[in-house]
Amino acid sequence: MGATIGGWRPSLKAHRPAALLVLTSLVLLGLNPLTVEAQKKGGTLRVGILGEPPSLDVHWTTATITETLGNHIYEGLYTLDATNRPIPMLAESHAVSKDGLVYTFKLRQGVKFHNGKEMTSDDVVASLARWGKQSVYGKALFAQVADWKALDKYTVEMKLKEKSAIVLISLAVPNNFGAIYPKEIAEKFAPEVKATEFVGTGPFKLAEWKPDQYIRMVRFDEYKPRSEKPNGFGGGKTAYVDEVRWQPVPEVATRVAQVETGELDFADDLNLDAYDRLKKNPNLRPIVVIGNGWLIAVLNKKEGLMTSQKLRQAWQAAIDIEPIMKNVAGGHTEFYRMDSSLIMTEIAAWHTKLSGLPWNERNRDKAKRLMQEAGYKREPVRFMTTQEYKWMYDFALLTKQQLEDVGFVIDLQVVDWATLVKRRNNSKEYDAFTTGIGAIYDPAHVNFLSASWPGWTTDEDILKLQADMARETDPKKRMAMWEQQTRQVYEKVPMIRYGDLAALRAIRNATKGYDEKMQRVRFVNVWVEK
Amino acid sequence: MAEAPVRPSWRRRAARNRNIVLGSAILAIVIFAALLAGVISTHDPRRLNPTQRLKAPSAANLLGTDEFGRDVFSLVLHGAQVSLLVGATTMILTSLWGIVIGLIAGYYRRVDLPLMRVMDGLMAFPAILLAIALMAARGPGVGNVIFALSVVYTPRTAMLIRSTVLSLRELDYVQAARALGRQDLGIAFRHILPNCVGPLLVQSSFIFAYAILAEAILGFLGVGVPPYVPSWGNVIASGKNVIREAFWVSLFPGLALTISGLSLNLLGDGLRDVLDPRLRVQ
Amino acid sequence: MTAYLIRRLLTLVPVLAVVVTVVFLLIHLIPGDPVSVMLGPDATEAQAKATRQALGLDSPLHEQLLKFYARVLRGDLGQSYFLDRPVVTALLERAEPTLVLTFSALLVAVAIGVPSGIIAAAYQGSLWDRALMLLSLLGVCVPGFWLSLNFIYLFAVRLGWLPVAGYASIFTDPLAALRYMVLPAVSLGFSQSALIARISRSCMLEVLQQDYIRTARAKGVSQGSVIGIHAFRNALVPVVTVIGITMAILIGGAVVTEIVFNIPGLGRLIISAVLRRDYPVVQGVILVTATAYVLINLVVDVLYVFIDPRIRYG
Repeated sequence: MGATIGGWRPSLKAHRPAALLVLTSLVLLGLNPLTVEAQKKGGTLRVGILGEPPSLDVHWTTATITETLGNHIYEGLYTLDATNRPIPMLAESHAVSKDGLVYTFKLRQGVKFHNGKEMTSDDVVASLARWGKQSVYGKALFAQVADWKALDKYTVEMKLKEKSAIVLISLAVPNNFGAIYPKEIAEKFAPEVKATEFVGTGPFKLAEWKPDQYIRMVRFDEYKPRSEKPNGFGGGKTAYVDEVRWQPVPEVATRVAQVETGELDFADDLNLDAYDRLKKNPNLRPIVVIGNGWLIAVLNKKEGLMTSQKLRQAWQAAIDIEPIMKNVAGGHTEFYRMDSSLIMTEIAAWHTKLSGLPWNERNRDKAKRLMQEAGYKREPVRFMTTQEYKWMYDFALLTKQQLEDVGFVIDLQVVDWATLVKRRNNSKEYDAFTTGIGAIYDPAHVNFLSASWPGWTTDEDILKLQADMARETDPKKRMAMWEQQTRQVYEKVPMIRYGDLAALRAIRNATKGYDEKMQRVRFVNVWVEK
Repeated sequence: MAEAPVRPSWRRRAARNRNIVLGSAILAIVIFAALLAGVISTHDPRRLNPTQRLKAPSAANLLGTDEFGRDVFSLVLHGAQVSLLVGATTMILTSLWGIVIGLIAGYYRRVDLPLMRVMDGLMAFPAILLAIALMAARGPGVGNVIFALSVVYTPRTAMLIRSTVLSLRELDYVQAARALGRQDLGIAFRHILPNCVGPLLVQSSFIFAYAILAEAILGFLGVGVPPYVPSWGNVIASGKNVIREAFWVSLFPGLALTISGLSLNLLGDGLRDVLDPRLRVQ
Repeated sequence: MTAYLIRRLLTLVPVLAVVVTVVFLLIHLIPGDPVSVMLGPDATEAQAKATRQALGLDSPLHEQLLKFYARVLRGDLGQSYFLDRPVVTALLERAEPTLVLTFSALLVAVAIGVPSGIIAAAYQGSLWDRALMLLSLLGVCVPGFWLSLNFIYLFAVRLGWLPVAGYASIFTDPLAALRYMVLPAVSLGFSQSALIARISRSCMLEVLQQDYIRTARAKGVSQGSVIGIHAFRNALVPVVTVIGITMAILIGGAVVTEIVFNIPGLGRLIISAVLRRDYPVVQGVILVTATAYVLINLVVDVLYVFIDPRIRYG
């Protein structure tokens, strides 16, 4: 019969309907009643990053650090979901005219900036106009825009010159993105000048920036999250921690050691050599992001030795990519991928699987022949790289040796990243430089196929195909054009594609809620267990 | 003619001085290794071997390999070339400049005061910081490192020469020579300079040591010779990233630096004992 | 004595003038156009002109020098183009860590060096003496930055006793500040302690051989008192001088230590400024450190006079 406690007989049978109700609700709410973790509000998250951001003005630069930090304090009209498709963020909805030339965006109401002001269409118009003049993606989009204005307090209208396939995706891209600033700030700082005031609508706001020491972001209490569940970079975003403290730690070995000892809760951009050691540590776990980016050597096609197509083809033919990738990946085969597609596997919509491309041919004879045809007389090729991103220096040094083995003379110039980013705008200063290409969400955004990005791809056929692709709205046709473009790129060699490289991060077990699948680092919906 | 202060039997005293013997012996080994680096090295120090990265010392790689598979033993040997080149050239240049400036300052009263203020001013800059600033202006490269270090260390030598000159010019035989109408330059060369040799030699060994260390520091900081040029500072710098997986990469060039510095300091101490007992640190 | 002090103070002016001139000349050592090197080619002509004016590069050399003096005397060290703030602000933001590090290292150097030197002198010729002197020789030869790396590996990573790197301000968290400062201060101070030990020992030995010491001993004063009271005070004189020299070396050595331990001080500032071609900051840092050194030397010289009133500088 069961024991009695003061006359009340505990019996599941009697309470069955109630229990069932509770369980069903829990299941419906998507919570596993056995393992639900209570998110805790409060605490400080200390994050180790590899250096000072050149600025927090996201309109101004494509730098990854600026992107990572900027996405905590700013938001755009749209953002990307878990499948890399645009979903609304600050926009409520949008409508497109029948001819596809007029986009009308309805904005969310009651969204506050960190300074207390409400976001309205004036802010949106001013911000995106600035973005359209300075950002790589902004310029790509606004090249097609005929008119851009506010219709009423919460509605903006974009009139296009021609049909475009890239409106929403351009507004959703997280890098160098269309963040909405208050109108006063967007108008105060000219597009080519770094803004020095940082006010956004995001779940965190900038509290303090002590250069070389830390950047402190605190929770914005008046943030109104969207009602949807977190989805990729979008959906409902909640700031559980009181503060995110970004600490620049330029020495990678120090960054690793500090997350191991608990001085940091999270460390980004770690060297892949540290993986084995991190795996053994019981207090943290390593996070490997396979499709972090691919290594690229951008060639100067405006002036200098690399204006010669044959010489560029020689470089492409000469290199043996796999040993380079293996070395850069710290000897781990699982940390790199050999792939010729110009857009990574993770962006399934645009990933190409073409065969017969002259990629990784490892054909030294062909290279030597091309060099001879190009009339190369052992002039030094100025190849710029930096040690701040260790993998850049690594693949540059390995490339130098491989190219010198076929007869190139390589003048390797090692500078700091900030200088490289500046110098690469000057066609007199270099013949090639190293960088990484991260996620590209639409082929029309490919920066190394534009005439204005360093390297200056001015080949008419390539540019025409890019423009056509931006106009074409049928996805199947676009894919065919993209495949055609890929073949063209490998023939004309505006740049050299190496392999895909993984990124290594480390997170302490006390830090919960972090979405490890995300390409970039985000601390929304993250809390700290004490 | 009155005897110069340096005793004629200094050669024998030098040979018997333990510090000099030990210091010279070690230095000779270092110089030998540097000169024969091309011959003794087991590998090309610049050759990258991605498949052999971070290997511990073994028969194939006596001191192990670094993160690019470069042989550490060969790197250390070739690094010695850069270190000794920078050290020796800096030492020679500072001596030459020091002698010129010191002589002028010691001899010609009118120029002395302003020259000494300039030297004081230059010596106010911490050596490494001034070197860093000069490298910032001039850019990377061995020549610029030597230039920067020479500028930094010349004042010390100049002051030394000057003080020697000042103490000697009042001596009887110098005054006598002057009275006899001998040219200043002649006096300088015949009577004054030989007596500077002692303190100069002592000073030079220490400057050699400082310069070697300074070059390594500049390399370590990334403002010396380009990172792919074998130099002790560069190798230590590349080793610091993998110090837990491969401690040998930073260890051996550090030992080489210590040994070179040791030899020169011993040499300097010994020379000081023998040549200039007044300065003796007991 | 006052005459000496006044003369000493007067020498300050020309020395500082030389310092400022050297700092000024730095920009002119740059091959090519310093402005385009600094700003990069995408700077507009207006920006280049403004920078040229701010740096004073648009007039003849002697005029530029005078303008530079005027600016420095006003306390205007220019604008850091990378950090978007006046150089003076950037320097002030980072002065505290460097000062704390330098003084901690000095403390370590003196705390280790002086007693070692005195003990070595007191037991001259013994095993202690030889051991200490050997250690001090090594201390001079071992590269400080290499020592730092090994310390971190041993104490922070392997043993876990101390943090790997970083900095905490004494004013916000004294305990943490201490923990973070141990390894940097010790690795920086250790090399200098060697020098101080050797000099303390030699000065002590010299003093111990003086007549009045022998007299004290003959009178029956204990060895301890002899050393502690008489010898110590007189041996202090040259040690104070060495401290002045040590400061200059420490300020330089602090640069490397700051890089290795990720301390946000002037050393890290000058390195990142060099790498970014932020010349006004480079100039600012060496100007400030050289001036500090000159002033420290002045203080040491004055202290010298007060410690040993027997010395007359008439």
